[in-house]
Amino acid sequence: MNSEPSMKHGAVRDSVMLELRGLGVGVGERALIRDVDLRLEPGESVALRGPSGCGKTTLLRAVSGLVDPVAGEVLFRGQRPADVGWPRFRRQVTLVEQRPVMLNASVTANLVRPFRYGVADEAFPEERAAALLERVGLAPAVTTQNARALSGGEQQRVSLVRALLTGPAVLLLDEPTTSLDEAAVSAVEELLREEAGARGLAALVVTHDNVQADRWCDRTFDLVPYLTGTPSSAPGGAAHDSEGVP
Amino acid sequence: MTDTVGALRLGFGDLAIATALVGVAGIISFSLRLGLERRLGLAALRTVVQLLLVGYILTWVFGIDNPCAVGGIATLMIVAASRAAVQRPSRTFSGVTWRAFGSLFLSGMVTTVTVTAVIVRVDPWYKPQYVIPLLGMILGNGLTGLSLCLDQLLESFSERKAEVEMELALGATRWEAAREPLADAVRRGMIPIINSMMVVGIVALPGMMTGQILQGADPLNAVKYQVVVMFMIAAATSVSSIMMALLVYKRLFTAHHQLRSDLIREKPA
Repeated sequence: MNSEPSMKHGAVRDSVMLELRGLGVGVGERALIRDVDLRLEPGESVALRGPSGCGKTTLLRAVSGLVDPVAGEVLFRGQRPADVGWPRFRRQVTLVEQRPVMLNASVTANLVRPFRYGVADEAFPEERAAALLERVGLAPAVTTQNARALSGGEQQRVSLVRALLTGPAVLLLDEPTTSLDEAAVSAVEELLREEAGARGLAALVVTHDNVQADRWCDRTFDLVPYLTGTPSSAPGGAAHDSEGVP
Repeated sequence: MTDTVGALRLGFGDLAIATALVGVAGIISFSLRLGLERRLGLAALRTVVQLLLVGYILTWVFGIDNPCAVGGIATLMIVAASRAAVQRPSRTFSGVTWRAFGSLFLSGMVTTVTVTAVIVRVDPWYKPQYVIPLLGMILGNGLTGLSLCLDQLLESFSERKAEVEMELALGATRWEAAREPLADAVRRGMIPIINSMMVVGIVALPGMMTGQILQGADPLNAVKYQVVVMFMIAAATSVSSIMMALLVYKRLFTAHHQLRSDLIREKPA
């Protein structure tokens, strides 16, 4: 049965922040993953592990609601996204995709953009933006540069800062440090640990780096038992709760 | 048109002289070995046959005194225009034709009836001599605008999918995420008519106005008609482009604020 995950970084847990209930995802009519039951508590980070092409990215996109799951549902603090309102849900459960997408504008314009949406309750936190950029190793001069002219690693960090600035409760991170050097990886991990400890930011992380998963995340969720078309994919009662714990 | 002081009627002899002008072009082509004689001859023949056919059809149509029959012909014209409009873009999606039809139908009918019933005050307002050519001009321009708008939209929602989804993932509503591509597409659809309005009378005289003047109409009155026509086309083009953009938006974005770019498919080359 599911072992109660240990919290590595001292985050306080109270109720379930995000719940995947019998979630199945696929491409078109073809199911890739099915019957995933997973709970994420405040401040908790969970690494999603599975072979390449098994549907980890699709799973994150389904949690974010950018694609519909083929089965099951996602609950945020016990509420369905449609009840919360999709834009408000995504403000709280924010996907940061592996390939950062930048608007053809300055870094500042990219960071300000989410504060122009109707869902934004607050003004753009300029000082916090500067502080976060510095924390991930980006110099202040970067703010005036066109975001698309930055390197892949710089864009990845801008993308993360942009998501953090909106104050999400859960981050869905798809290979968030693939383009980063060792120092930047450490800086990003440290920042996310602090966010988890200070304000209970939870994270669902897709990473191929097992060492990183063990170092950073509170536990690992192995997707192999939930993959369709493999001998171990048959969804059974026990499998639902057999989350791998590092 | 009411000020026409009498058109100089053309006989078949006059047409024969005009044909001789094309013949001269053919002789030049032959002597310079341009190899255009056959194509020029075929083009000239098609011009005569097609226009004669249209002439006979219009003579029959203009004799119709039944609003339902005029409406039927107008609907056929809109069907043809909507099919042409959706054929040009390199991408498509299921249900695109009826959306183009709806956009052209609304913009074309509202504008044409406004012009005939309110501005020109034709009696009866459905008089085919006015309704059919006006609707033809609206559809000719409207389908170009709609086609450009559609092409741009489908390209944006395919090529800029990641950008749109990035905005959705950060909490944008579907409208907020789609607004820029929609505005770009409507702007693109409007470019031809705005360009025409900017240079009308400077680069070239519009065909309808030239036709009226050749028929002996007062040039100032012909200008007034042309202004009405240009504004009518601009209004109809903008309405059809905007309506098409909104219908495409409604089709490609779900109530869950998702972009269904998978519904868009490339046409075979």
